[in-house]
Amino acid sequence: MTRFVGIRLFVVSMALLIIAAVVPAQAEKLGPDGAPNPTASVIDQGTLLKQAPRIEGRIDIPDLKASVLEQPVGRTWDYFHEVLLHWGAAVVIAGTILLLGLAYLIIGRVRIAAGRSGHKILRFKAFERFSHWLTAISFVVLGLTGLNITFGKIVLLPLVGPDTFSDIAQAAKYVHNFTSFSFVAGLVLISVIFFKDNFPAKVDIDWLKQGGGFIRNKHAPAGRFNLGEKLVFWFSLAAGVAVSASGFLLLFPFYGTDIPEMQLAQVVHAVVAILFIALILAHIYIGTLGMEGAFEAMATGEVDLNWAKEHHDLWLARQLKEDHRDEPAATPAE
Amino acid sequence: MARMMFLCDADRCIDCNACVTACKNENEVPWGINRRRVVTINDGKPGERSVSMACMHCTDAPCAAVCPVTCIYPTEDGIVLHNKDLCIGCGYCFYACPFGAPQYPKVGNFGSRGKMDKCTYCAGGGGPEAPGSAEEFAKYGSNRFGEGKLPLCAEMCSTKSLLAGDGDVIAQIYKERVLKRGYGSGAWGWMTAYREDIKV
Amino acid sequence: MLIKRSEQHRPRVKRFGTQTGEPRNELDRRAFLKQSGLAAGALAALGSLSLGGVRKAEAGPPAPPGVTITTRKNVCTHCSVGCSVIAKVANGVWIGQEPDYDSPINRGSHCCKGAAVRDDVLNQRRLRYPMKLVNGQWTRLSWEQAVDEIGDKLLEIRAKSGPDSVYWLGSAKFTNEAAYLNRKLAAFWGTNNSDHQARICHSTTVTGVANTWGYGAMTNSYNDIRNAKTIMLMGGNPAEAHPVSLQHILEGKELNRANMIVVDPRMTRTAAHATEYVRVRPGTHIATIYGMLWHIFENGWEDKEFLNQRVYGVDEIRKQVAKWNPREVERVTGLPEAQVKHIAEVFAKEKPATLIWAMGQTQFATGTANVRASCILLLATGNVGHAGGGANIFRGHTNVQGATDLGLDVTTLPLYYGLAEDAWRHWCRVWEVDYEWMQSRFPSKTLMETPGIPSTRWFDATLLPRDQVSQPDTVQAMFIMGHGVNTITRMPEAKRGIEKLELLVVSDPYPTAWSVLSERKDGIYLLPACTSFEMDGSRTASNRSLQWGEKIVDPVFESKNDYDTMYMFARKFGFADRMFKNIKVESGKVSAEDILREINRGGWSTGYCGQSPERLKAHMKNQAKFDLVTLRAPKDDPEVGGDYYGLPWPCWGTPEFKHPGTPILYNTNLPVKEGGGTFRARFGVERVVKRKVMENGQEVEREDHDNLLAEGSYSAGSEIKDGYPEFTLGVLKKLGWDKDLTPQEMEILQRVNSANPDAVSWALDLSGGIQRVAIEHGCSPYGNAKARMIAWNLPDPIPVHREPIYTPRPDLVADYPTLPDARQFRVPNIGFTVQKSAVDRDIAKQFPLILTSGRLVEYEGGGEETRSNKWLAELKQHMYVEINPADASERGIKDGGWVWVTGPESNSKARMQALVTERVGKGVAWMPYSFAGWFQGADLRAKYPKGCDPIVLGESVNTLTTYGFDPATGMQEPKATLCQIRAA
Repeated sequence: MTRFVGIRLFVVSMALLIIAAVVPAQAEKLGPDGAPNPTASVIDQGTLLKQAPRIEGRIDIPDLKASVLEQPVGRTWDYFHEVLLHWGAAVVIAGTILLLGLAYLIIGRVRIAAGRSGHKILRFKAFERFSHWLTAISFVVLGLTGLNITFGKIVLLPLVGPDTFSDIAQAAKYVHNFTSFSFVAGLVLISVIFFKDNFPAKVDIDWLKQGGGFIRNKHAPAGRFNLGEKLVFWFSLAAGVAVSASGFLLLFPFYGTDIPEMQLAQVVHAVVAILFIALILAHIYIGTLGMEGAFEAMATGEVDLNWAKEHHDLWLARQLKEDHRDEPAATPAE
Repeated sequence: MARMMFLCDADRCIDCNACVTACKNENEVPWGINRRRVVTINDGKPGERSVSMACMHCTDAPCAAVCPVTCIYPTEDGIVLHNKDLCIGCGYCFYACPFGAPQYPKVGNFGSRGKMDKCTYCAGGGGPEAPGSAEEFAKYGSNRFGEGKLPLCAEMCSTKSLLAGDGDVIAQIYKERVLKRGYGSGAWGWMTAYREDIKV
Repeated sequence: MLIKRSEQHRPRVKRFGTQTGEPRNELDRRAFLKQSGLAAGALAALGSLSLGGVRKAEAGPPAPPGVTITTRKNVCTHCSVGCSVIAKVANGVWIGQEPDYDSPINRGSHCCKGAAVRDDVLNQRRLRYPMKLVNGQWTRLSWEQAVDEIGDKLLEIRAKSGPDSVYWLGSAKFTNEAAYLNRKLAAFWGTNNSDHQARICHSTTVTGVANTWGYGAMTNSYNDIRNAKTIMLMGGNPAEAHPVSLQHILEGKELNRANMIVVDPRMTRTAAHATEYVRVRPGTHIATIYGMLWHIFENGWEDKEFLNQRVYGVDEIRKQVAKWNPREVERVTGLPEAQVKHIAEVFAKEKPATLIWAMGQTQFATGTANVRASCILLLATGNVGHAGGGANIFRGHTNVQGATDLGLDVTTLPLYYGLAEDAWRHWCRVWEVDYEWMQSRFPSKTLMETPGIPSTRWFDATLLPRDQVSQPDTVQAMFIMGHGVNTITRMPEAKRGIEKLELLVVSDPYPTAWSVLSERKDGIYLLPACTSFEMDGSRTASNRSLQWGEKIVDPVFESKNDYDTMYMFARKFGFADRMFKNIKVESGKVSAEDILREINRGGWSTGYCGQSPERLKAHMKNQAKFDLVTLRAPKDDPEVGGDYYGLPWPCWGTPEFKHPGTPILYNTNLPVKEGGGTFRARFGVERVVKRKVMENGQEVEREDHDNLLAEGSYSAGSEIKDGYPEFTLGVLKKLGWDKDLTPQEMEILQRVNSANPDAVSWALDLSGGIQRVAIEHGCSPYGNAKARMIAWNLPDPIPVHREPIYTPRPDLVADYPTLPDARQFRVPNIGFTVQKSAVDRDIAKQFPLILTSGRLVEYEGGGEETRSNKWLAELKQHMYVEINPADASERGIKDGGWVWVTGPESNSKARMQALVTERVGKGVAWMPYSFAGWFQGADLRAKYPKGCDPIVLGESVNTLTTYGFDPATGMQEPKATLCQIRAA
């Protein structure tokens, strides 16, 4: 049957009031025989809404959310969604793009200082690349279809008209829903595969001290992943978990959640997603435009030796050592 | 111009659910979709009151604002209608609605929602169908409003608790009632829906 | 805000008041079915096939193009308020409902049931054709075959065991005409075992109230409550049971700033709107009333003039009330003195005050006494017989008042004539059959004049040894038309009863729980009856107004209306010609109008004589003309001028006499001709009582002749300014008024009793002349008497508090035991033994919670119809028990959790959900009574005929209810028993 969250709140606050105020208040509510007194002046919504953000009661249809009579906070959510989110998202995304643009203008493309060596070394195995791209493509699809929910009606609708836009949005919704699974799969794979290499290490501090190599165009020491990449990893992981969790709550609406929880899930989903997009934009920038030789790591899996030396010296050293160690071990087998 | 509103006089509402079944009957609303419902506050306790609630057809309707495909819009009479052809079943209107009005049939995979359904003020649908047509009825239910009639829920209310019609008129009825009887717990939801209240 | 309409949104004019003249789109029959939600499965297929005798149930607005929509008016079948239903019909399909603002009773309003009645007709779960149970399988058969087989079996039982072994259980959902026909059928069959829901509903009211002041019905009307200054509800929850009545109650409360006091064990939806709520223990009504009267007499708040002029026996009441001092009242009821005093003062002083009740008073082993106590309170405070006061008794079904009036009762022929030879002769004259022939139908004249077995005891009369049942043999066959099995207490025994029967016939729109409760494998027949929406006929609302219901659509599927079904059986039994002598039957279709005309010709005693079908139809047509408060139409109206809405009975004289009906009974402020009246002189003109008095220091016995006629009180315009007896030709002669009779009237009158025409009374005079003349002289045909506070013919002449059979207070049983065991209504009533045994066995310890029951707004009666209605069923999907949070936490029971409830008889148990709520006080559990289809934890859904199972099934409260029968009426006691609850 119905739950009594609101009523419980009401009872608690009533109890507090009674303790604070007087016993006569109680007397008014109950008749001399202890039965409820209906004339005890009726609660009005103003009072109720001061006590709790929602007015809840009993209803017998098996639909928990139907027991919420009124939730003015819906209008707050509307304000969040239509004002804060629109402006916030616009500022964050446009700001990120602007910053990256500035970075490109100021710093320009980070070249391989020593030039290409012509020798390649395997940086990402096929399965690692698959995992990355699974996540990446899913992310882009989710991002675009997600942004459509917020910005489509401003950007796309005037261009294509309501019917077409609705078809697109409908398709986008399904695509968003289904892509969520591949994204989560990718996210899980990435976390498992790269977890160890993203563990914080002492060298990260040196890397940080040297400004990640951006400042003086002098390369900072780094393992397989430098601190910047590690941060991207951890932030992505956190954001990924947050969007996935909130996303699945949205995907299975009211499966164990109530209205405020659903609203919260949506807020979390939207805010995290926007920040996530900003983060990934930066990631994309560095992986493509921002740095020479970086993209091929994920494209072919192999990087130039010199690139590796400059950006991941420790990793390269370890990698080379391992290669040598592997060789004798391999020989007897021949 | 008339501004259509609902007002539930909680001091008259007895939780008889006539509004609920009248709505179901008039609009052939399927099982599981509750365009209107009655909630009882303080059930069995002092100050118990029941309130019938459906879409209030808000001023600056939050559902319309948040709709990503802008399928919800107010008519000249202030009735908030929606076009099911455009609706994508995202569920945002439910989060924004202060009154729990939007309903969704369960369709397809997981918790996926079908086209939103809600009280139309018995004014047919917000889509391109001809008013009063079978197509309109199938999607949205009855179009009493087009025939000059008010929503059946209010028309059939057992105690004349639920009032529908022009906001000024029903506010006046309520005001007179409160003055006559000397009490009233207010126009439930009005402040939230219409940003005005009835001062008696 | 993005509220701009996009280009795609069609431009439209949707302003209030505008008409859309746009053409409707073509819609073929298939599409019509499809969009009406009937497409799936068999029915869609049926739509394209030739259906033979089966009429399809179709649904769905809007109407197909080019089809004219007609509106038809009928009356909601779900309670006694009598709300008009307007149906929109297109192509023979009921496509929608509209509010009937013209009806002064409901002014367009409905409750959830009334607003959903369309699905009662369209329902796909209705029984489609006659069926019988063969080896545990439901098999289809034709009507002819069914009537043949059933008829043969009944005749066989009649030959073997006598007519009394067949029980005719009728229905409060019958129209007046069907109820009358059902009683007539039982009479022609030769038995008085003819009953209906009133037995378990207001039989105690009818007996108690009629024995106080003459007629057993609501004295005023729902509308008249608008005049009250104090509205007291004791034992009723109209917000759920009669929701539209709350329109009048609440508006009255608001307009008059009236007091509204609710006395009830439960904080009901009604109590939520009261100005004062008093929580009582179930079964302490008399103690509460006497507690109030104690303060009233103590403070002199009684209406002394009223008592002197119009009431008999107040002295005895004073003596009884004196015992109920505040301390004793508190000991028994738990109510503190101040509260009792307060409500007593309000009720006595802020007049007019009305007392409203329903089953919270009637459904007790002391039901008749409870009701009598209420009447006594009204009399003591002078609150009867005028606007705003009165006993506003809310009855339960559409036509439970009419069915009671028309004799679906084991103690009487239609219209309370009783069962004496006079009564039989009267109806034989009306029916134009020989009295001797009628007598030959019965095993004996004694049995012909002996009350039958109440419906509450049918299974006792089946299961008891033959020598325990005072008729030739036990009950062997039940012929049920529209009555549930789950509304009668002691269901485990009813189940055994069904198993022992030779034949069970259920004529109902639904299979009902009768079809699934037992372990029977054969011998059950189900006959599809149509609803009252599919037939013509009148219904009497609780306020005694008759309303004519118009057939909305033809009976769906193969269902038949009750008239035609009964006609088929009468034909099978060989007395159709006699029984339908004056009733037109055309190719098997019986004329409802003709039945009503026959009722008019015989209904003098209760004033059912003036409501001809023509007048009733005119009322339905002119509803808008009747006043909301007085219910009266303007005098100058050509069709209904001066009439009260629905010609509330008594509507005296012939239809041509144009009596307007009586909206308020016993109202001396109006002339009888305008709807006024006096208390009925039903119990003689004087009472001879032997009293012991002290004379010269010696106790001697004195014979007093107490005057029972009114003193100095008479209705407005009466030519006799005092009390007077009921009118006979002899009385008319004494007054010299006999010359006012027309020769035709005199001639008919003489024919009634040619041997002694002077003895012909106003009730037996088939001409209506005596009534006409009496009324022309301003007199009530039935006399002008005092109301009786002492009803010396009842088991408790003045009400006595008696603890329920299963009381939570065994300590009070010594002081307030139930009446001794006795034989009543052909069976033994061993209430005393059961109560004593319960006390001796300490039952109250094992079953510490009081179990009481009531109605839900969504469901009605046994609930078969409403639980099958898709719009209603959605609203209450589970059977539950309400339990106080304190009791729940003691037992570890959570809101919504499953529990087992056990009862003290038959090892009964029931599984349901718990609703933990403060609606009920500590120590009290409450259950709705409209559920069936589960029995002691087992879901019986598979046993229903395929596709006919109600949407919602659940345990019946009556699986747990227990023994206890009112000695005067056989009323059961489901409102106060004991139970235990534990988490499942």
